[in-house]
Amino acid sequence: MITDFDFLDISLPISNGTVTLGSVLKFILILSFSTLIAKILSLYLRRSLKDRVSKDMCETIIKIFYYGMLTIVFLSNLSLIGINPSALLVAGGVTGIILGFASQNIVGNLISGFFLMVERPIKIGDQVEISGISGYVTDIRIISTIIRTYDGLLVRLPNQQVFTTNITNIVGHPVRRFEYTIRIRYSDDADAAIFLIKDLIDKEPFALLNPSPSVFVSDLGDSWVNLTVRIWAPVSEWFGIKTRVLWNIKKTLEGNGIEIPLPQRIVRIQSDPKKIPEELMPPEKEIESVINYEERVLA
Amino acid sequence: MYGYYKPPFLVEQEGISISVENNGEHWIYRRTLGSDKVEKIILADGKRLIINPVEPLNTPKEITPNLLIEFEKTLLLAGGAKRKIFLTFPIEIGVFISDKGDRNIQLLDVMTLARQKFTLYGEVSNGVLCKHWKSKIYSISPSPDSLQEGIMELTLRNTSSDWASISKAVFSAYGMKLYYGSDGDAFMRARMDILNRNTAETSFELQHISGEIKSSPLRDFKARKEAFGVYSLQKLGFVPPKFYMGWGY
Repeated sequence: MITDFDFLDISLPISNGTVTLGSVLKFILILSFSTLIAKILSLYLRRSLKDRVSKDMCETIIKIFYYGMLTIVFLSNLSLIGINPSALLVAGGVTGIILGFASQNIVGNLISGFFLMVERPIKIGDQVEISGISGYVTDIRIISTIIRTYDGLLVRLPNQQVFTTNITNIVGHPVRRFEYTIRIRYSDDADAAIFLIKDLIDKEPFALLNPSPSVFVSDLGDSWVNLTVRIWAPVSEWFGIKTRVLWNIKKTLEGNGIEIPLPQRIVRIQSDPKKIPEELMPPEKEIESVINYEERVLA
Repeated sequence: MYGYYKPPFLVEQEGISISVENNGEHWIYRRTLGSDKVEKIILADGKRLIINPVEPLNTPKEITPNLLIEFEKTLLLAGGAKRKIFLTFPIEIGVFISDKGDRNIQLLDVMTLARQKFTLYGEVSNGVLCKHWKSKIYSISPSPDSLQEGIMELTLRNTSSDWASISKAVFSAYGMKLYYGSDGDAFMRARMDILNRNTAETSFELQHISGEIKSSPLRDFKARKEAFGVYSLQKLGFVPPKFYMGWGY
């Protein structure tokens, strides 16, 4: 397919011989052709791996294959542009330092990308929070990581930033816990409310049996009794359950005469400003009056 | 309810209503179960519908391929012993559409009358999500409601020299083989090998039921048919059909 390019006799003398325009074109053609072949093979590889391995693993295998193939082709054809690969290896140290300084960020991102693929703190499809950005990981590239936020925006994060910052992987474990605080009136039966809530949780398929849910009185507030409800759910389902169960709890409690109270404040309006309210009277007198009362009764 | 149906037809049992009607140009599949209704249009002629029990891991949503059966009472098995017990498992009813000769089978619908609940087997950080079912332990084959529960014949084998205290078993749907009889009962045959104090391995017997007629107390062996499974229609890939129980039994 690639024929003789000697008619392009424009040559550039270098230390390792001469580089003709033809050999440069040949190098470019080989690289372009290899890129095309690598893309086609990646497509076939993706199709054959689709039902066999996870999407994340599939993408990693394809990337290694694609970039590996291009690297091999690139290195094996360097002689066409007058670069000896072995000489490149010898000069690798010096070249590395120069390249390192010149492209510090790019190389940093590249290496971080490699470690992200190896360490795998996040995978494609995971829900994560990185540097205050929350959303789904749609791709982990060699330089950057792509996140689709919950409101549908595309955010590109440099891999160095992803690797060096705190990552919260929301779906890192198979299950997660969520909790509610439910307020009931002091006049309501807390035991009955706990029974009703537990029964409701038991009927919800995705509320896990193990780790078991817990419902308990957690606080005695100014105007209400606080019940804490803790439920474990599969990570893929927790948000749906959280919204569904909360409303069902409200309906069930109200259906059984247990109400969620509004904040209450008792305000006494005193008509005579000089009169001291009974509850503000000095305690000694109250005790005395009680003692006197008991004495009277005993007498 | 289980069996082959040629449209048009209507079958009703225990609150489930399944029908396929001709609506001129096409067929309409209708299924009602309580308030849950499904309606689908079938653009094909000469097809037949198969209704049979399927792996109990598809409803309300397919989120795990694993079924955990918790024993109502803990079972103690001596070291080196081998015993056979019967359990029940939840049933899901699958509706498939196929060409004649059971070629080109496609799942149309799945429903269940059984209680649905999920649980975690193992640790929060690396455990396995499972569909949960609680079963009594029977020494002979029970007779449960065939649309809600099936019968599992479980062979327990303690390969260790210590006593094994067994309270649960986890099974992978990828190896499940279900059979159903003319009387509607669903059946599975599985085994559980106790490897040591904390680990066990479960798998399903793949040979046909009629292969061991004499050794099993079950009725009507020859009439049993192998059910089409939802998981057996999927490509297995590298998923092993056995389940390794590494967090105790």
